[in-house]
Amino acid sequence: MANQAKILVFSTEKISDPAIDMAGLLKLHYPPEVYTIALPCSSSVKPKWILRALEKGFDGVFIAADGSDCPYGESCTEKTGNLVSKTHEIMKEKGIDPARLKMAAMCSVCSESFVKQIKSFNEYLLKTGNK
Amino acid sequence: MTDKKLGVYICACGGNISDYVDIEKVKEAIKEEDCVFLAKTTMFACGDSNQKEMESDIKENNLSGIVVASCSPKLHLNTFRAVSERAGLNKYNYVHANIREQASWAHSDDKTGATEKAIHIVKAAIAKARYAQSLFPIKIESEKSVAVIGAGVAGLKASLALSKMGDKVYLIERENKVGGKLTTLGKIFPSNIPGSDFVRRLEDEVKKEKNITLITNAKIEKCTGNIGHFQIVVATDKDEDKNENKHEEINVGSILVATGFESYNPQEGEFGYKNVNNVITLPEFRNLLRENKGHKNLLYNNSKVNSIAFIYCVGSRQIRGENKYCSRYCCSAAMNTSLELKDKYSDIQIYHFTKGVRTYGAQELMYAEACRKGDIFIQYPDKEEPVVNKNGNQVMVRAKDILTSKREIEVLADLVVLITGMVPDSDKSLGSMLKLPRGRDNFFNEIHVKLRPVETVIDGITIAGTCQGPKGVMESVNSALSAAVKSHSFVSKGELELPPIVAHVDTTTCSWCDACSNACPFNAVIMTTVNNKRVADINSTTCKGCGMCLPVCPSDSIELTSFTNKEIESMIDILAS
Amino acid sequence: MQTRNKLQFDALVIGGGIAGGETALNLANNGYKVAIIEKELSIGGKMILLSKVFPTLDCSACITTPKVSEISRHPNITIFTESDVETIEKNSEYDFTTMVSRRPRYVIAEDCTGCQLCEKSCPVIVKDEYQFNLIGRKAVFIPFSIASPKVAAVDMENCILCGACEKICPSNCIDFTQEERQYEINSKTVIIATGFNLADPEKMDRYGKGRFRNVLTSMQMERQLAPTRPYNTVLRPGDGKVPDKIAYVLCAGSRDDSAGNPICSQICCMYSIKQAQLLMGALPMADVTLYYIDIRAFGKGYDEFYEQARGMGVKFVKGKIGKISELPNGNLILRYEDIQSGKIKETEHDMVVLSVGTLANKETTSLFKNIAPKVDDQSFILQDDPILSPAKTTVKGVFVAGTASGPKDIPDSILSAGSAAAEVISYINQKQ
Repeated sequence: MANQAKILVFSTEKISDPAIDMAGLLKLHYPPEVYTIALPCSSSVKPKWILRALEKGFDGVFIAADGSDCPYGESCTEKTGNLVSKTHEIMKEKGIDPARLKMAAMCSVCSESFVKQIKSFNEYLLKTGNK
Repeated sequence: MTDKKLGVYICACGGNISDYVDIEKVKEAIKEEDCVFLAKTTMFACGDSNQKEMESDIKENNLSGIVVASCSPKLHLNTFRAVSERAGLNKYNYVHANIREQASWAHSDDKTGATEKAIHIVKAAIAKARYAQSLFPIKIESEKSVAVIGAGVAGLKASLALSKMGDKVYLIERENKVGGKLTTLGKIFPSNIPGSDFVRRLEDEVKKEKNITLITNAKIEKCTGNIGHFQIVVATDKDEDKNENKHEEINVGSILVATGFESYNPQEGEFGYKNVNNVITLPEFRNLLRENKGHKNLLYNNSKVNSIAFIYCVGSRQIRGENKYCSRYCCSAAMNTSLELKDKYSDIQIYHFTKGVRTYGAQELMYAEACRKGDIFIQYPDKEEPVVNKNGNQVMVRAKDILTSKREIEVLADLVVLITGMVPDSDKSLGSMLKLPRGRDNFFNEIHVKLRPVETVIDGITIAGTCQGPKGVMESVNSALSAAVKSHSFVSKGELELPPIVAHVDTTTCSWCDACSNACPFNAVIMTTVNNKRVADINSTTCKGCGMCLPVCPSDSIELTSFTNKEIESMIDILAS
Repeated sequence: MQTRNKLQFDALVIGGGIAGGETALNLANNGYKVAIIEKELSIGGKMILLSKVFPTLDCSACITTPKVSEISRHPNITIFTESDVETIEKNSEYDFTTMVSRRPRYVIAEDCTGCQLCEKSCPVIVKDEYQFNLIGRKAVFIPFSIASPKVAAVDMENCILCGACEKICPSNCIDFTQEERQYEINSKTVIIATGFNLADPEKMDRYGKGRFRNVLTSMQMERQLAPTRPYNTVLRPGDGKVPDKIAYVLCAGSRDDSAGNPICSQICCMYSIKQAQLLMGALPMADVTLYYIDIRAFGKGYDEFYEQARGMGVKFVKGKIGKISELPNGNLILRYEDIQSGKIKETEHDMVVLSVGTLANKETTSLFKNIAPKVDDQSFILQDDPILSPAKTTVKGVFVAGTASGPKDIPDSILSAGSAAAEVISYINQKQ
């Protein structure tokens, strides 16, 4: 299956990465050009990493956030939201479609949700010709 | 960097990987990568035989690290870290690549795609391994003592438990005696023993424990420090010679907060409180019962009480008012009081105006008995409270009764008892001093009600009893003992090992702006000066390695161990190619 | 006659559910050597089978699997799954001998990688007890995807010994020659954490369980809602139709002298509300009604959770269901007194969930040979000093954690486990 969008996923070691694992376990297929880098918390993603990914060849970046499951406390949701907004601003300034950065909360068994989101993100990126 | 020698093992996982990912192709694709000394495929990386082979490969070739590309790190990250350690390497030199759940299984419908992805994943892991450093857990010494704040039932039980576990305990109480609210309670279900007897028992036990230093009449003036080393300044009785408060400084490794609750104080006019003479709260009623001990009849203001109306949910589940929560203990407490009343004064008629009876668990038996003893239960609608008016020397309570299809019921009673809920202690100074976050109900908040029920986000501080939320005596004891075990685990060894994944500030590029300190939920950032410049410094013993400070730094001066810019960026570059 | 393996531990925990596991972890973290005896093939108890937990709707797996993983990896904890306690004898203070027999899995656990190829090759299908009989499983199977240990087992009662699994297993770990192993474990203390049994509605005639196809227990509904669920959506078991008028019967077997259980089971109101919320999400067009006596939403965040359900459109009707009858199309008629109106009513639903209560696990005390802990009127382990030492039983050195001493929700079970650990540590330290 050629011609898929290339997506970088920032997942979290304790919460969303296990969900992505489970998608594999349940053989829920999604496009193979989806790569994951696992971090301790979704609020630790540096905007410059997102921009680098987009500039180096990724069509989209997806942050699989901890949401309320975050082991580091409740401020995670707000902070992850903040860094995404901040990055969106920078993307707009640089003329990059902000919809190329997505974020969604993912619990550790939310595999179906993950696959659904990734597939629709993939479709969007293909459609808008970001591929 | 180029002197690193890495061993890369690609697991077939008995076909689970190799059926969809061409592992030979992966091996060929990565074996010439920078720093890769040897690359092998194996049937089961985690199998005993392969583990032994990896160990000998490391030793014989002096490898600086290994990468295993196999299943999810959840299963075998620690297995392979242990292999590295057994072979004499630092376990943080091990990097894992997940090519099963995230390659072969997820893309079992596309073998080419799965193989390509696996190649990228392994290359990225190799890139990370090039930068991997030997990391050592951060060891700090800790005081082998715990400060327990509050000597109610939770504080007393926690202190006894800690003492029996061998820790030194400072039990700090602001009143001049111990026991808290337990002293005021009558018989506590399911036992027949009154609260004051329990307090006496606990007091005697505490006196016998040499490890416990009890400080009463105490006020905590200051609290600083971190897990392992908290400094608490306590002001106690006035020093007679100097006519000023005595100050004591206590050094402890952990703090256990057991500051308890307060009874809700109804406002003037709330259900007739203070406006109508014969309306009192449950704590006031308990006092009345104690004063009447030994009398043949129950007297209030010198008149015999023949009928009492209990009004439930006062100060809890409020319609107007902030307390939306259920205070948990009250239905059972009211039921217990009613049974105690009937025991002593068998001819009193008791009316219960409830919002639904919540005598959960075995406490249900009290409800059943109260019904059998002739108590009358009226359930008022959630949003329509009973109305209380003076009626001569008595009180009229009027309410709609759901149990009789919303008929309006009027009860003329000699006494109305408001079953008041629990609210947090009004003295907020300790909470602010310790920076303890509060929940929606304003009680202290635990990190996670199931995973970490007695810990707070402040490392080394645990919470126990009703200061965490309304609960009964037995529940307070369970919480106190759990908190004691937790606090004990912080201090018992005399030293603590903290994982080395922490954030670091590059002081050359930092120009103190406060952003990281505001972002940190754990108070790990302090301001310091380096070469006359104000910069941020991260306390590696308090830092949890969450990384929340990373994105907010305007000069990108913060890096997180093993998730550095170099590591992440080189992974991004490889995955993007 | 097999010889017994003789082992020594500081503490022996009977039951590897959340309470037993948490007690073991607390003790192990403080340096004590603990054995956990678990009768099922996996630790995790009932909690690991749940979908989401109230009141936060965290995924139960997110919470259980890290604990279960920590417990299984801990160097101070030794887990005996598929094991039964035969007898427990108190020799003297700090000296207990427990005889344990471990059933064979017929799989070499250290070599099994959880690849499930054996399952695929097996021709035998039987009812899956881990999915509460909603679907089938093979005779060689991994109990569920998040089982710990994630190792296959052969259900010898149903195995036809065709050898297909043995042939296909890539690591050659099927071993039909395995036998029962027996242990004699000596420990200083014993902790009872044997959990609870869900009330069996087959004993409650008026609710039609076992006779009516579309009446489920709450645990079956829980499995339908869980991420590792048997079907892709919520179905009614009678004909596979997606239900749209679901009723919950609260207090099924609790607060009910006629069912032999006069007390409140403490968790059913909350778990029913939780399932109702999940159903509103899974089946947005469905109607969900809870028929209750009182809603016991007493814990932290519980009342707010209840209000949230009401806000979502879950219906609450005060009135205990007196009788359920079945229509030819599988729908059910529920008969009750509607307290708010004072009238007897009958309503039709297409699926009914019985919110069954928590009953004592009665087997535990009979395992004790010479001196057994007493039980209370509901057969739960009696707490000898319930107010100040809730983990103590009437036998010195034997402690209790979790729902073995009475109904509890998960947070209360975990705190009671911490309490038991504290008592155990104090008790052992007194010896020195």
